[in-house]
Amino acid sequence: MTLLAFRTMSQLFHRIVRLIKVYPPIMPTKPLRLAAGFSVFLAVMIIAPLTTTVFTVGTIPAMAITPEEILGDPKLEARARALSKQLRCLVCQNQSIDDSDADLARDLRIEVRRQITAGRSDEIIIEQIHQKYGDYVLFNPPLDRGTVFLWLAPIGFVGLGVLIIVLARRNHPVPASPDLGAADRTRIETMLVTRNSANSNEKERQKE
Amino acid sequence: MSKLRLSFLLPLLAFAVLALFGAIALYSTLSGSRDPAQLPSVLVGKPAPQTTLQRLRQRDQNNDNSVTLTEFRGQPLLVNFFASWCAPCRAEAPALEMISKDITIFGIAYKDRSEDTAEFLQQFGNPFQAVGMDIDGRNGIRWGVYGVPETYLLDRNGVVVLRHAGPITRGIIENTIMPALEDLGS
Repeated sequence: MTLLAFRTMSQLFHRIVRLIKVYPPIMPTKPLRLAAGFSVFLAVMIIAPLTTTVFTVGTIPAMAITPEEILGDPKLEARARALSKQLRCLVCQNQSIDDSDADLARDLRIEVRRQITAGRSDEIIIEQIHQKYGDYVLFNPPLDRGTVFLWLAPIGFVGLGVLIIVLARRNHPVPASPDLGAADRTRIETMLVTRNSANSNEKERQKE
Repeated sequence: MSKLRLSFLLPLLAFAVLALFGAIALYSTLSGSRDPAQLPSVLVGKPAPQTTLQRLRQRDQNNDNSVTLTEFRGQPLLVNFFASWCAPCRAEAPALEMISKDITIFGIAYKDRSEDTAEFLQQFGNPFQAVGMDIDGRNGIRWGVYGVPETYLLDRNGVVVLRHAGPITRGIIENTIMPALEDLGS
C-alpha cells in the first residue's frame, strides 16, 4: 500500500518534471528542472487535499440557523449572516458560526444579532468577540507579530520561485536555435521522405 | 544513473518533509503538549469581566438574590463554569472538593436550570462558596468560555492568572493550579 502510494507520487513527480522540460525552455539544466519539479510537486501535495474541501463546501446545504433567530429586518439579517460567516466556531473546527449546529455557535449568532439590533457597527461587533475569544475566532486574522509568518510566507515562497527562475536564466542563457543552411534543410527533407516511404513499405509487406 | 538517483530521492525527500510535520503534530498531540481542542484564553493577564448573576438559593446561606464577582476580592479565587448536563463536570467534582480546602471557589452554572443545578450539587457535592446562574450563557461568552467545565484562577485583585478548559484532575491541581496559587501567595 505504501509502496503503491509512493509509486504514484513518483510517477506524478516525473510527469511534472517532463512537463517542465517540454513546455518552457527556461530550465535548461537537469538539476534545475528537478528542483523546479520538486517545488511544483510539493505544492501539488499540499494543495491537493485542500481542494476536496473547496469543491464540497458549495454542495452541502448549510442551514444551521433556526427560524426564531432570524431578524425581522432583511437588511439587518443580511448583515448578521455576513458577520457570522467571518466568525469561526470554537468547538467545531473549520466551520463558521453561520454553518455550525453547535450550541455555542448558536449563542454567538444570537449575540451578533443582539448587537446589530442595538445599533453597533460591524467592526465593533467583530472586535468585541475577537477580544473575548482571540485570533482563533476570526477567519481573517489580523497581521501582527504572531501571525506575520502566516501572512508573508506565501509571498516569500513565490519570491523564492521567481528568484530560482531568474538565477537559472542568468547562468544558462537559452541557446539561440542554430540557423539551418539550405543544404541541411534538403538533407533533412530527404531523410524524412525516405523514412516515411520505408515505413509504408513495411506496412504493405505486413499486409501481404 | 545520477538522474535516476536524484529523481528517486527528491519525491522521497518531499514525502519525508511532509511526514516530519505530521509526525511532530502527532507526537505533540499524543504526548499532551499540544491539544487542538485547547484554545488559549485571551483573558489571562486581564481583569475578569464584570459578573453579576442570579444566585442559586441554597439552604444555609444568605438570601441575596444576586451574586457579584467583586464580593470575592482580596483573596485568590477559583471561578468554575459547570453544568448539571455536563459529564466531565461530574468527573471533576472530587478534585474540586479537594482543592476547595485551599481556595474559595465561585461556581457559575452555565446554561442550566436552578432545580437541576441544585440536584447536581446534592448528588456530587458542593465545593462552591456561592453559585451564580448563567442561564442563557451570555456571561460565558463575556468570559470567552467555549465549553464546560472551564476553570479560571483569579488573583486578589480579580485579574485572571490562568485558565483551564476541561475537567480539573488531581494532576492539574498539583502541577498547574497549586504552583500558580503559591506564586500569588508570595
